[in-house]
Amino acid sequence: MSHDAQEVVRIEGLVKDFRPGFGLRPRRVLHGIGFGVRQGEIFGFVGPNGAGKTTTLKILMGLIHPTAGVARILGHDVRESEFRRHVGFLPENPWFYDFLTGREFLRFYARLCDVSSDAREARIDALLAQVGLSAAGEARLRTYSKGMLQRIGIAQALVHDPSVVFLDEPMSGLDPIGRKEIRDLILRLRQEGKTVFMNTHILSDVELLCDRVAIIVKGEIRYEGSTDDFLAGGERETELVLAQVPPALATLLEQRLGARLRGLGDRIEARVAEKHVSEALREALAAGAEVVSVVPHRVSLESIFLSAVEAGNR
Amino acid sequence: MNRLSRVLTLAGNTVREAVRNKVLYTLVFFAVALIGTGVLLSTLSYVEEERILQDVGLAAIRLFGVAIAIFVGVGLIHREVDRRTIYTILSKPVSRAEFLLGKYLGLVATLWLQLAIMALAFVAVSLLAGAPLGAGHAAAIGLIAVELALMVAIATLFSAFTTPMLASLFTTGIFLVGALSRDLRDLGLHSSSHGVRQVLMALYHVLPDLESFNLTIQAVHGLPIQPYEVWLPALYAAAYAGVVLLLAVVIFERRDFR
Repeated sequence: MSHDAQEVVRIEGLVKDFRPGFGLRPRRVLHGIGFGVRQGEIFGFVGPNGAGKTTTLKILMGLIHPTAGVARILGHDVRESEFRRHVGFLPENPWFYDFLTGREFLRFYARLCDVSSDAREARIDALLAQVGLSAAGEARLRTYSKGMLQRIGIAQALVHDPSVVFLDEPMSGLDPIGRKEIRDLILRLRQEGKTVFMNTHILSDVELLCDRVAIIVKGEIRYEGSTDDFLAGGERETELVLAQVPPALATLLEQRLGARLRGLGDRIEARVAEKHVSEALREALAAGAEVVSVVPHRVSLESIFLSAVEAGNR
Repeated sequence: MNRLSRVLTLAGNTVREAVRNKVLYTLVFFAVALIGTGVLLSTLSYVEEERILQDVGLAAIRLFGVAIAIFVGVGLIHREVDRRTIYTILSKPVSRAEFLLGKYLGLVATLWLQLAIMALAFVAVSLLAGAPLGAGHAAAIGLIAVELALMVAIATLFSAFTTPMLASLFTTGIFLVGALSRDLRDLGLHSSSHGVRQVLMALYHVLPDLESFNLTIQAVHGLPIQPYEVWLPALYAAAYAGVVLLLAVVIFERRDFR
């Protein structure tokens, strides 16, 4: 294979303009974005609605042509089609041929991917079992619930045993148990050495699953790197709950240490930056206050994500 | 070999979709019913009862065949894009040309299946009425099959870039003008204006000459049909459909599926 063994997806200077209609000026939705996805990782592509996530994914899947720039999967230009036997894709809110049964549906996609007839039925049985649809394999898709359609959609993305899988909002329409099952499935794909590119807005899934993330806002990449580094980039806070707080202490915490205070009856909750925690505790004890609890808080991906979005909006 | 296998898989799925779609059964039922009414119409005449019966039958087969070709053909690609079923197919090792060709061949196979049902009804009604049947009838129905394949190619072309409503208007327009294209040619040849002659002759050469597929008169009246009257139109249709499908692929390759 001609591609860099470390990188499965490479995007460089990707630009996409959409023309709203004849004679109208084109609207730029991707402003020369670039990022890479490494082999064997779960990569989260995160951004608010209209940021350009789906456009990027559609370019990668060959559904939309880029105006400029390069998009490669496994070293191949995304305009080619033969290499796609190594690629699986689940679109957002998928709609499938509902006149087919689950088994016929998977057989159709297996044939399109040249899965040999010897291996086909065994592969379909295994996948139906893997996504919990063994009992529904002979039922037509029009009788499937939204969650079942999502699961059969994931099965079609995996029917040809691809090495890289693109999932657009894979948890969409699933109940908590279904989400847990799909999360486990994604983790299992990584264990099997597959690369997973996940387009999502559910940040808890990003925190739980993704090795690396790229944040896209208004068609520009705001961050690309490991999820841990991204989370470490935000300032951590500690929540102090204090009782018997004299007014002078409250003023000191707020004005000198930048704490955010909230009244809790006869107590106050003070959110203090990690670097000021020791000093805040010293001052509280010196002022005769009682320390009820000290709880460190990790800054959530959501708050960092919102900061990135707000920065993009300014 | 892989390419052919993928095209046939897509064609097979298109046939299966049509077979499981009850609307098409209704259209075929009406066509068979119309062929049957030929018996009724023929009783209104004291002469040439069998000929009227077969005239009506072959006309019904042709018109219902073209109607189904336009009805299904214009939505062939649009439906796939609208329902987003195309997303997962093109993400597999399937080129856009293979997709378009698979859908086209699937619809042609569906129409030929329906044509076979209508032809059986035509044969049954002819036998019941004691009307003669011969190679001419087979040739006439064979050329209707060729004409339908050409009409599906034209519907596919429009379906590749516009809405079903516009595509059905364009395809129906081409069918109507195509059926009269020899009149356009004759009008051009007899026109005193050089400009008008040039335009009408250009239209005649660009538009499909659908009258070349119509052997109804020869079949019904038992007139001899020369082999070239069958293979020449068939060759013409294959070349015309090939160019139209190539154009459809070029347009389809450039499309963004938003």
